[in-house]
Amino acid sequence: MFKPTSALFGGLLWKTPWRLSSMQKARQRKRLRAVDRVVDTVSAALQRNGQTSKAVQRWYAEMPREEEMLPKDKYTIFDKKEKTYRKGIHKLPKWTRLSQRVNPPGF
Amino acid sequence: MSFFRITLLRSAIGLPRRSTDVLKALGLKKRMGTVFHAVSPSVAGQIMKVKELVSVEEVDRRLTKQEVHLERKPDPGYYLEKSCVAERTELRGQ
Repeated sequence: MFKPTSALFGGLLWKTPWRLSSMQKARQRKRLRAVDRVVDTVSAALQRNGQTSKAVQRWYAEMPREEEMLPKDKYTIFDKKEKTYRKGIHKLPKWTRLSQRVNPPGF
Repeated sequence: MSFFRITLLRSAIGLPRRSTDVLKALGLKKRMGTVFHAVSPSVAGQIMKVKELVSVEEVDRRLTKQEVHLERKPDPGYYLEKSCVAERTELRGQ
């Protein structure tokens, strides 16, 4: 029997949940910490050799660490088209391999 | 003089061309591939470009490809018996 559902009518239908699950959030925190660890290692190694890097300095100046970030910034991003100006970070293409930590000024 | 031990954990498929080129410049071709580079600001900048994809350690020397491979080799689960003479000379030599 034919049951009219949006999946059957619309052909390809992607059901992306509007928020992350608790496990997705845990993995997101893990990834954020991994990036922090890489930057710390690079910075410590450079310091030991008496060198500096512009990219590392800029990262420390601009980016918050995982433990300093608000949950809002960890799991959602700014979107001007949303009513609340926020959407889940998993809507961002390649979100597991990008560093998206800060908001535009004023948001 | 210390070295960065860089391991590629996540591939750059689908990321901007620049990320792939940086990995190529670092000599990383496959996931779980490991390379060693002397600590310098230019290498640090390259790592910063692909920091989400790699894991980095600071080590004292470059390991050879074989040494990196042997780190991953599991314990064989057996040991070879030696004659007591051979074992004694080995201990004496230490």
